[in-house]
Amino acid sequence: MRYYELIYIVNSNVERKKVDEVMKDIAGRLESTGSKIINHTVWGKKKLAYPIKGNTYGTYILIHYSGGDNEKLSEFDSWLKLSGLTIRHMIVKLDKEPEVVESFSETDSDVESGKKKPEEDKDKKSDNKKIEKKESEDKTKKEKTDKEDKETE
Amino acid sequence: MAFQTRRKYCFFKENNITIVDYKDVKLLKRFTNDNGKIMPRRVTGTSAKMHRKVVGAIKRARTIGLMPFVDNGSE
Repeated sequence: MRYYELIYIVNSNVERKKVDEVMKDIAGRLESTGSKIINHTVWGKKKLAYPIKGNTYGTYILIHYSGGDNEKLSEFDSWLKLSGLTIRHMIVKLDKEPEVVESFSETDSDVESGKKKPEEDKDKKSDNKKIEKKESEDKTKKEKTDKEDKETE
Repeated sequence: MAFQTRRKYCFFKENNITIVDYKDVKLLKRFTNDNGKIMPRRVTGTSAKMHRKVVGAIKRARTIGLMPFVDNGSE
């Protein structure tokens, strides 16, 4: 069995009801290909790294599914592009079976990456310290040079 | 002035990370410079195996609008 992840962006200015409609539409279409949807969750509104089709913000939605009929799936891919329901979408093949997630929000991802966080913070702190050191060194240098200048005068 | 020589080491080996997800922008940003360009392996010190994964993930993140192709600070 192949597992895929579909991520798509919906216009963030649209009402919640319309987003739900789009989600239903896409889910229905996907199920008609014989695929089983494992997760279908809203990731959240995010600022796009670059404007896409005139949008600077977008609502990201994720679907995890196990693949059905291959031909129908490629048809689904092109349908999604032509339908105009989404700003952009991308389908990625997964290596492992995805876990069932109730909601995929920022807080969840933070919890997952919680192990990495303290180390990152440490790195940042050490970086800051280094910068501070450098700055202090620069200052002392400047002071020295100032003194030297005064002496020469 | 004495330069502190820091040994470069693979970030992923240090932190025991084996999977690189394109959605983890926070992680991927470590491997791009301020302009959004992918930094070379000789700069980041990442292992060849993980660098390939990072490159793939960054390119995926770019297509879906999570990371910039070019970031020249115009926004």
